[in-house]
Parts: sequence; C-alpha cells; structure tokens
Amino acid sequence: MMRKMFSFLLIISLLGALLAGCSGGGDTKTNSNASSSGGEPVKEANGKPVKLEIIGIGNNLPTPDKDIIKQELDKALNIDLGLTVYPSKDDYVNQLNVRMSSGNFPDLFIVDNRQQLVQYANQGLLLDLTPYMDKLQQTVNYIGEESVKKSMVDGKVFAITKSPQIPYNTLWIRKDWLDKLKLQVPTTIEQLKDVAVAFTTQDPDGNGKPDTFGLTGSKLLAFSSVFGAFGVGMPVDVGMPGNFYEKDGAIVNALYDPAMKDALSFIQQMIASGAVDPELMANNALQHQEKAIKGQAGIVYIDWPNMTKQQFVDQIKTVNPNAEWVQIAAPSGPGGQFDGPWDIGAAPGRVAIPKALEKDPEKLQHVFDLLNYISNPDGGSMLVQFGVKDTHFTLDNGKPTMTDKAGDVGYSWLYQFTGRPEMEYLQAKFATQSDFIKFANDEPRIKALNGFIDNPEGFNSADAIRYIEEEISKFIYNKRPLSEYDAFIKTLETSMNYKAYLDSGFEQLKALGYGD
Amino acid sequence: MQANRSYITTARIQPARQTKLHSVLRTVWRFRAFYIMLLPGVIYFIIFRYFPMYGVIIAFKDFSIMDGITGSAWANPWYKHFQDFYQSPYFSQLLTNTLLISCYKLIFGTFPPILLALLLNECRIRWLKSIVQTFTYLPHFLSWVIIFGILLTLLSQNGGLVNRLIVDAGGQSIPFLTSTDYFRSILVGSEVWQNLGWGAIIYLAAMASIDPTLYEAAKVDGASRLRMIWHISLPGIQSIIVLLFILKLGHLLDAGFDQIYILYNIQVYPVADILDTWVYRTGLQQLNFSLASAVGLFKSLIGLILVLGANRLAKKWGGGIW
Amino acid sequence: MVKSLDDKIFNGIVYVILGICGLAAILPMLYVISVSITPFGEVLRNGGFILFPREITFTAYRTLLTESNIPKAFQITVLITVIGTAVNLILTGLMAYPLSRKNLPARKFFLLMIVFTLLFSGGIIPTYLVVKSMGLLDSIWAMILPNAVWSFNVLIMKSFFEGLPEELFESARMDGAKEFRILLQIVIPLSIPVLLTVGLFYLVGHWNEFFQAIFYVTDRTLFPLQVIVREILIQSQQPLENAENMMPTQTMQMASVMIASLPIIVIYPFLQKHFTKGMLLGSIKG
Repeated sequence: MMRKMFSFLLIISLLGALLAGCSGGGDTKTNSNASSSGGEPVKEANGKPVKLEIIGIGNNLPTPDKDIIKQELDKALNIDLGLTVYPSKDDYVNQLNVRMSSGNFPDLFIVDNRQQLVQYANQGLLLDLTPYMDKLQQTVNYIGEESVKKSMVDGKVFAITKSPQIPYNTLWIRKDWLDKLKLQVPTTIEQLKDVAVAFTTQDPDGNGKPDTFGLTGSKLLAFSSVFGAFGVGMPVDVGMPGNFYEKDGAIVNALYDPAMKDALSFIQQMIASGAVDPELMANNALQHQEKAIKGQAGIVYIDWPNMTKQQFVDQIKTVNPNAEWVQIAAPSGPGGQFDGPWDIGAAPGRVAIPKALEKDPEKLQHVFDLLNYISNPDGGSMLVQFGVKDTHFTLDNGKPTMTDKAGDVGYSWLYQFTGRPEMEYLQAKFATQSDFIKFANDEPRIKALNGFIDNPEGFNSADAIRYIEEEISKFIYNKRPLSEYDAFIKTLETSMNYKAYLDSGFEQLKALGYGD
Repeated sequence: MQANRSYITTARIQPARQTKLHSVLRTVWRFRAFYIMLLPGVIYFIIFRYFPMYGVIIAFKDFSIMDGITGSAWANPWYKHFQDFYQSPYFSQLLTNTLLISCYKLIFGTFPPILLALLLNECRIRWLKSIVQTFTYLPHFLSWVIIFGILLTLLSQNGGLVNRLIVDAGGQSIPFLTSTDYFRSILVGSEVWQNLGWGAIIYLAAMASIDPTLYEAAKVDGASRLRMIWHISLPGIQSIIVLLFILKLGHLLDAGFDQIYILYNIQVYPVADILDTWVYRTGLQQLNFSLASAVGLFKSLIGLILVLGANRLAKKWGGGIW
Repeated sequence: MVKSLDDKIFNGIVYVILGICGLAAILPMLYVISVSITPFGEVLRNGGFILFPREITFTAYRTLLTESNIPKAFQITVLITVIGTAVNLILTGLMAYPLSRKNLPARKFFLLMIVFTLLFSGGIIPTYLVVKSMGLLDSIWAMILPNAVWSFNVLIMKSFFEGLPEELFESARMDGAKEFRILLQIVIPLSIPVLLTVGLFYLVGHWNEFFQAIFYVTDRTLFPLQVIVREILIQSQQPLENAENMMPTQTMQMASVMIASLPIIVIYPFLQKHFTKGMLLGSIKG
C-alpha cells in the first residue's frame, strides 16, 4: 500500500511540476512589453522626463545624486537616464541574457563582441537600425561609415559601433638597467634577445641575487613585436585562433605563413637562453605589469596606461626611485618592423536597441536623441568626454584642457555609448602621457582582419584556441620539436575543424574586397 | 503498521478502490502533524526548485532567447548537444581530469577534518582548543582570488618564498604552478587547507552529542585514549561521515570550478581542464546555453546514480540517507 | 585523577599537531591583515609579501568605510543574514524532524525529492523567471527565499534527529504530548549543537551571498556587502581595458576582504562554547 501511495504522490507531483512548467514557459513568450523594468509609462515629450534604462560593463559609477553627467544629460534631453554597470563581463552577460529571456529589456545595452551581435541579431532580439539611419545621421557622421559596417549582419545594421580606438601596446625597457650594463637600446630582434639575456644573467639591479629576467608580457603577446619582425601575425590572438592579414596582395593566415616557423624558432631560442619570464604563459590579468613594477622584469610588452598613469608611476618610484622605464620601437627583423597585429575589423564596443522598443516610438526617439546628442561635438560629446565646460575642462582654441576638478568626472567614459575621438580625447585627458600615446599610435602594425569574420556553423573556436595555445607553447618551450609543425597544422585542421574556419575566413574576406 | 491492522479488523465491505483511497486519507490524517510540518518546506521546494526544472529541456533544444525555453526548436538530432560535448577532442581528457581531481580531493580531503575534529575533541587545554578551532576555520572565508595571490607569493617560480629558500640552499627553482607534475597536488592541497577547520565543525557537533557516560564507563574499564577514540568517538560520528561521503560523491563531476578557473593556466590545461572550465569557455562564453545545459544534465545523472548506489552500500554500514 | 605517562604523551602529541594546524591556518590570514594596513608601495617593495608590517596606514579602511557604499551594504547584509537564517532554521527544522521518524509514510518519497534537487536544477534562466513571476525582483526577499532551504542541511539535521534515543519519544507520546510539543520541548533543546552548526552554515551562506544579489537586484541600495567586495576584487582579475580604469591596490583589496569577513569571524568563538560535549544529553538522562 505504501508503494502505491508513493507512486500516487509521485505522479501528482510530476504532473504538477509539468503543468507549472508549461505555464512558466509561457511567460517567456509574452515578452513584447515595450516599457523597461522601470515601469513608468511613456509621457509626452513636453511633459515628464522619459525614463531610459541602459546597462553596460564598467565600474565606479557614482550614485545619481553625485552623477553630474547624468544630470546634465537629463536636462538636455528631458529624460531620466538610469545606467547600471557591471564590473564583471560574465555577470553582465548573464544579466543581459536573463533579462532578454524574461522580456525585461533595457532600452539600450552594450553588446560585448561580434559573436554576441550575430547571435542576438539572428534570434531577432535587436532592432534593425537600417530604416532609421537617417534619424541617426549625427551618430553616423561621428563614428564614420566604416564603423557602421562593423555592426552589420547580412547587410543590415543591428548596432551602433563605437568610434575606433588606437593601439596602446609597445615594448618598454628599463633604461637604468641598460645604463648599468652599458648596453644600447635594442633595435633588432637579435639585440633584443641579447639585452634580455643580459638582464637575466648580469644582475642589472646589482643586488647579487639572480632574481631578474628579461622579457615578460601577457602570455604570447609578449612576443607580438618579435612575430612582427618576421612579418607574421599572431598564431593566436585574444579570442581569435590565428590572425588573417594581407601580404603582397593576398590574404594570409598567420599559422600558414611560411615565416611563422622562423619566428617560432627564434622565440624558442630566446626562451632557451633564459631571457624570458619562466611563468610567461601563466600571466593572467596584470601579472606582467606587477612583475615589471616589482623590478623582476626588464622588458615588458604592455599598454601605456598600465605603465604611465600616475598611480603606477608612483608605485614604480616607491619600489625603486631610480627605476626608469622608456618606451621603445618594435625591433626589426627579416620580415620588417611591425609592433604586433592590430585588428582593423574589431570594434571597441557596440550598443544595441532591443527590437521590442519599436513598439514605443516615443522612447525610441529619445534613445536616438541621446545617441545623437553625445555624438555631437557642439552638443553632448564634450560632456561625456570631459564633463561640464569651465568646471571640469576649458577650451583653448578648441583644444580641451582638464582642470583640477576633472577627477570628479573620471567615470565619464561609462556614458560614451558611441565612443569618442580617440587621439584628441586621450591627449587631453592624459596630457602628461601624450607623447606615449602618440608613439604607440604611430608604430607600424600588421593589419589583422579577424574582426570582420564570423565563425562558421559547428566550429568550436574555444577548442581550437586551446589547442593552438598549448601546441605553440610546447614549440617555443622546446617540448615539441618544430619539425612537427606540419603535423600540428594537420591535427588542427582535422580534429579541431580549423579548415572550416580557414575556408570561411577566406571567403568572407574576399567578399569584403580583401586579397586580389 | 498498527494503523493498517486496526483498520482491517473493522473493515466494512466496500469497493476495493474506495478502500484504498480511504486508507490513504486515514494515514495522512494520522500523521497530519508531520505532514503539516513538512508543508512549508515542500512548498518551497516545489516553487523554487521544481517549477524551474522544466529548464532541463534546454539540453535537448536549440535554445533561442527570443523563443524562450518552451518555444525553442528541438535540437536535431535530440542528442545533438550531448554529441558536441562527446565529440570534442578533449572529451576524454576532461572526464579523466574531472574524475581524478575529484577522487584525489575526496580521498585526501575526507580524513583531515575528521582527524582535526578528533584532536580538538581530545584537547584538554581549553584556550588552545578554542584558538586552533578559530584559526583553522578562517581560511574558509578567503576567496580563491585571495588564496591565489597567496599561492603566487609562496610558490611563484621566480621570487616565490619557497623557491627563494630552495635556490638559496643551492637547488633549482620548482615551477609549482605551471608544471603538470605539481599542479594537481596544489589544487588538492590548497582545498584541503581551506576546508580543514570548516569541515571539522560538523564532526565536532556530532561528537558533542555522544553520551559522555560512554567515555566514563570506558575509562573505568581501563581503556586507553586511542581505544576510546576508536570505539566511541568514531562510531558516534559514523553516520555523519557516511552521509557526507555519499553527498560528496553526488558532486564527483564538479571538481571545483571556482578554484580551478582562478588557478589554472595554459601549461596545466592537460591536467587541470575539467568539464566545467571547458563548458565555461565553450558554452557560456559562446552563449551556447544548450551545450552548458547538456553537460549539466550529464553530470546530474551520473551524480544521481552515484548517490543512489553509494546509499545502497552505505546501508550496510548503518548510514545512508533513508 | 592520576595521569599516566601514556596520557601525557598522547596529550603532547595532540597539542603539537594542533599547534601546527593552527599556525598553518593563521599565517595566510596574517598576510591578508598585514597587507591591508601597509601602504601599497611598501607592499611592492617587499616583493608583494608582508607578514609583519613596518609601516602602517589605515587609509584603505577609511576610504572604504566612508566613500564606497559599504556602510549601507553592511546593514543590508546584516538584515538578510538575520531574517534569512531564522527562516532557514525554521523551515529546515520543520522538514528534518518528520523525515527523521522512520515510520512516516512516503518518507522515502520526500527524501528523494530533496536529494534530487541537490543534483538537478533547472538552470539560472528558469529560476529567474520563477522569481520574477513572484514579484520578488529588486527586493530583499529575492536574496532570502530562492535559497530558503538547503537539501544538504535538511539531511544533516535529519541525521542528528535520528540519533536521539527512541525512548524519549515513546515516553512523551505515552504522556499524550503532540508532535509539535515534542519538537519544541524535547528535540530542539537536545539538538543545540546541530542547530548551531546548521545555523552557522546558513549564516555564513547569507553573509557571503553575492550571486543572488547581482542576478535578481538592480537597485544598488539593496546590494549586500560581498557584492561591493567582489567588485573591488574582480578588477584585478578581469581588468577592463579602458585607459581611464582605476585599479584598486592590493592594500585596498585586502582591506575590503577584512571588512567583509571580520564580523563573521568574530562570531564563531562565541558559538564554540555551546559545542560542549553532551552536556545537555547527560542532564536530560538524569
């Protein structure tokens, strides 16, 4: 009898759960509610401010009462702007997905990468902006036609790309160590290797302990300029399995570039000579920066903000008042002189509007107004870049200079939904670092094209990336002989399905007009 | 089964079905106090745990956010995502790593907290017992980000304290964190360390419930301290030990994502990449919810089998869940 | 009581081992404390490792307590912890007691239902939908209710209740006591250790909670402590790539960890007193 009771109860509960599940699932379909979770109904344009809800990635956003930029934007556009930022990318993506699934759409949100853009667009979650292009003319002018194309999927515009960024990374070297060891700044890769070896073996900090080494960086990126000196791109870049670029008029993939083996061979020698951080491949986040500041590394491949911002300069001085870091040009080699790859297809960020918002033309217009306003050099662009005129910055002949109150609006970048004119902006906001900014920008780079490519169906880029990283790591640490390079490529093409990516990449790039 | 018997003796002649229903209702009434006590908790489980369970069908669909869970198309074939998972070139490595790491953690991690609890229980100096208990319980509150920083400071190949000592003594520095030889040990060791005091708490609570007269009687019989531990303390916490072991088995395929994700790097992937870290890179970062769900379902099924099987075995040792 | 030599040796071994364990556990904590009060420049100068600080500064603590949202977040955390733990203990106890009675019909069914949820879950999206449909988003309850009962804790409590001597229940029932009375007047007083243990588990769980807050709550004034701490720590783990990004120093990170953990660390010694061996069981028997 107990058995029967057991099964009776079991069936009832399962049925209950199923029924509940069906109605619960039904919720997800009724998601065409246009108003955001703020819940306030739309008002007339000349009445109460329209509530806009925006989410993105970032940190240090002040509370609304202290948020000057929000207050100015609210005034200018008759809106009540609610921005929520998530410091962790994962948290943000989770939140975005969950809100999309429950119909609780924000009015404007950041799309983190192209894959997300394509996926959301294909699932019909994003508003097709193509018919609204004329309403967004100001924004388009600001970001440029090229940027508009970067957020197109199947010929339609689904997001607003932020205006382009400029490269930040270069090699930095300890000038005081060079002086101590009576060495010159290296200009070729051979010299780079010799200097790095010297830094490891000749005790440049003079403390009698073998606690220094030559080169460090963020995993393989440390060798960006070395690969560049051979004229090849990276075998694996952040999130990309193998750079595509143009060489002598044809499209080439870094892994298949004949010079790649030479580059790997050279790097292997560098590592074997002890010139490189032994834990290079384990450097997550900013560990390479820490090693540089602590005085463990003498050469580091890094971005100028993490080397020259005041807080870091102070740290460097505290550890060693005599430490002197200088920025150096990429070394030259058999393939020329290139300071690593720069993906001209990548976008520094994108913002998109949910499809559901088309049911609320009033609010939609306000979103457009916002985008246009912050893209207007005579309007809000200055506000989201530098703050309030004459409070946080002054204009001398059109050139902005920060005042000492500029620190109050350090978070302004969170409102730069359409980006900013990189060069002028950085030069103004980081006036003390303007030379470094210009130098990094002027370095010759290999123009990588990966940002233009969408992954083909069924291609698991995570597995391919892991495989490439692991095998390249083995090659350069001499755990696998370079003679097996072709075998590596073979496995990559078959087991990791890289062939699909390769072919698809060539196809897409040709369609865009690259190669001949 | 008193209720049944008394009912049968006073049974009236009734159609069979009504008799059964009647007896069910009668039983429910008899035990009504218990069922009422259970009610709030059961409601909680139904609402917050069972309602959302329909979500497991994501594993069998091509989940599209727009269509929602019920509206998304069924995967073609239905096992497509399981296939993607199974056909990954890293599948066997992931499974092996996950199982090995979990087993090591289970074997090496079960005993230290028990031993610590026994030692604390035997400690006659009150202030020592209190201090050691508090100290050992502290590491539990450090997140893996912090512990990673500590491990780096200690074990980094260039400049880590341990290696500095080794090099000063004339040896070669050891790549603790980047070598496949040491990494798993670091994983297991750091987790045992983190969990030592916290894990002991529950055993201490169990020991506090052991009847002290048992110890007194044993002492009178001339039993040594070790004897008393073996024959009184341990059996007293036996059922808890078995229960915890079974529950840990259910999570055998978890292996500790938070820890591994923060501590691992490319060079130790071959020994440290587990199911969850792979799913994170492949599934979640590529927004492939269906894949993540399929792997989750796979882990849950294996966990269930393990728990049910272990429970059956455990009955022989007087433990088990039911 | 004459202490034999064996006894003394045994004690000695116990003390030594315990001492080692204590040291091994406390040293890293000392590191965290030391870094939190040492100016970051000093930290770097010593290769990132400080055990006994020479220069002391409380700037990190001052900044955190005045400028960030930490004071408000602290209140929220305390609120959630107190209410939450109470809800947890009540629900868990109410479930564990009936399930510890081996003669309860359908006992196996309920236990299976509980164990099942330990292993299977619908996933974050369906759970979010349920929470949303109950109108709990952006409220304190979103951080209390979704995790109101932990299967693990129910099983532990049940196991303890099963260990209580059967005679107690029989005599109470013969005296005509109802089940609720038995639970309140017999079971609970005898189960202080397990109630404290499970209570501690829930308490610490609430104190460390951040995921539910990030997931279900967008109103920053409702964020508990650990969300703030996590925001600070995560910037060192996943640094944003903007030039303008401000990185919190290690000193700051450790200080935030200390602020967040200190209250909970301090509570434990007070609870330890109540773990005294079988004192209650003995007194009842007499």
